Amino acid sequence: MAAVDPKAGGGAQTSEFPEWFLKKKRERLLIVSRWVPISLIGLPVLVLLAIVIYPTIWMFFHAFHNTTLMSLTRDRYQFVWFDNFENVFTNERFLNSVVNLVQYLVFGAVLEVILGTAIALMLFSVVKWNWMRTVLLICMVVPLMLPPAMTGLIWLLMLTPHNGIINEILIITGLTTEKIEWFSTSLSLWSITFADIWQWTSLPLLIVYAGRASLPQSIYEAARVDGASRWKVLSRITLPMLKEVIAIAFIIRFMDAYKYVDKIYVMTSGGPAESSELPVYIAYQRGIRDFQVGEAAGYAIVIFAVAAVLVTLFLKYLKKVLKAQAIA
Amino acid sequence: MRDRHYKLVATLMFVFLGLWTIISLFPYYFQFITGFKGIEEVNRITPTFWPDEFLWSNLDLVFSDETNVAALLDTLLIASANTALAVFLGSLAGYALARFPRQAGGENMAFWILSNRMFPPVAILLPMFRAFDTVLGSTDNHLSLIILYLVFNMPLATWLMMVFFRDAPRELEEAAYLDGYSPLRAFFKVTLPQVVPGMMSVALLCWIFAWNEYLFANMLVGSNVAVNTIQMPGFVQGAQKLWNLAALFSFVAVLPPVILFMVLRRYMVRGLSLGVVKG
Repeated sequence: MAAVDPKAGGGAQTSEFPEWFLKKKRERLLIVSRWVPISLIGLPVLVLLAIVIYPTIWMFFHAFHNTTLMSLTRDRYQFVWFDNFENVFTNERFLNSVVNLVQYLVFGAVLEVILGTAIALMLFSVVKWNWMRTVLLICMVVPLMLPPAMTGLIWLLMLTPHNGIINEILIITGLTTEKIEWFSTSLSLWSITFADIWQWTSLPLLIVYAGRASLPQSIYEAARVDGASRWKVLSRITLPMLKEVIAIAFIIRFMDAYKYVDKIYVMTSGGPAESSELPVYIAYQRGIRDFQVGEAAGYAIVIFAVAAVLVTLFLKYLKKVLKAQAIA
Repeated sequence: MRDRHYKLVATLMFVFLGLWTIISLFPYYFQFITGFKGIEEVNRITPTFWPDEFLWSNLDLVFSDETNVAALLDTLLIASANTALAVFLGSLAGYALARFPRQAGGENMAFWILSNRMFPPVAILLPMFRAFDTVLGSTDNHLSLIILYLVFNMPLATWLMMVFFRDAPRELEEAAYLDGYSPLRAFFKVTLPQVVPGMMSVALLCWIFAWNEYLFANMLVGSNVAVNTIQMPGFVQGAQKLWNLAALFSFVAVLPPVILFMVLRRYMVRGLSLGVVKG
């Protein structure tokens, strides 16, 4: 894979040529008008400006105003400085949802990546027959393709406390003696997390499995000749070589977990007693159902700012990985 | 001694893999059996693992209702139109970024476009709701979703098409230039055929993401236009909770992505990992 910027990426190979030669070569390659690339990229950029940048600026504007849906249609709203943000940060409901988010990300995203990686590596090392690996992989990755909202509803039915099939299975296998109230205040977020782990473990699983399958066999043969133990092979060869792949899987999963609240909508609506709310869910509710545009904008901007920091860090890492791949 | 130790561990791992496979498939199986149960059996205090009697008439109940069929067709239309648009726009930008990186804004442009996919869409929903309301008169139509789904599909398509165009050797295209091809002809005759497999996988991913989307649809549409992710909760929100029909409807609605994935799994790994892992 070539680097984006020829000067930055391929510097090692091209530096031996004199400057004028490189310059001339670049000019020769670009035999189309300079307006062609600009117009090619222009249309998609315009679309993004219209559907992402304009709305974000709009929200930023209203985060500093006391807008509601009524005042919005009449164009009567006032500049209120940081009242909306103050409201967000002093709000018990929001602080509670941040705690929920941390729990959800640790047991959702992090656990999913660890579990997915473990299963992928097990699948590769324990199962010897190729066809069986493929069959098992396909079975394990089916959840990835189901719509999260429908998955949430099916889990809602399976977890029904009084006649749900999960409670029935737990009782039959003797893991519990009485029916568990899955949607009580203490368990509701956990129930969502279970459904989430069920669905999304397959994403890191699929990515890591493909990464492991592409590692060269010769390294493993060399390690065997040298008499390395299985544990050494795992910790010194497999995991270090899959480091980037696992990290990318984690990044993708993490940002998805941060922004999606489909399952909360269909499974608990944030309840009972706001025990399974995440910040994104509150922002949607305040804006769409309660029509508090200004306050919802405050939430959205806070969520957006945190995401901006995370996305910047993640993309920096992705850039590094891609550069390393281009040189290798 | 050591070998016997490993054998035990390997057996345990094997059992775990088998267990995880069953766990992965169980909700899907559950959806299937629930879909063919009678409502009395669904509400029974002791749940059953196999229907007393397969009620094939449930299929009729679900699909004789026009709104359910319409929801499937609406979803199909929205997902397909959005995919076509996303792949078209993504190919334009991806080609520009791969072939003319400097003129098209360089890697900063590429990463900025990708970043749009990672941001939570919570900040854009309200203003877009209002914009569609003023421009189109209502948000309850196909067009608003087709456009709005570009938020997550177009950045993905752009990024992946850039990766695939970069994989296609530039020298071939230059050779075509030297043979007197115009840039447009060189693109269609030389470059495009090389990226068609990649383009197919991008289209599939975009299609599945659009098919599975819930939040935007939940906020924007509902009465004129319904998509299947918001149609399914409708079965259980009324006075009578028809869980069996909801399960059957969703079982049918998830078949297309599941089958597509099984057939084309190999092509999709690359896309799901943002081009980092070659499947």
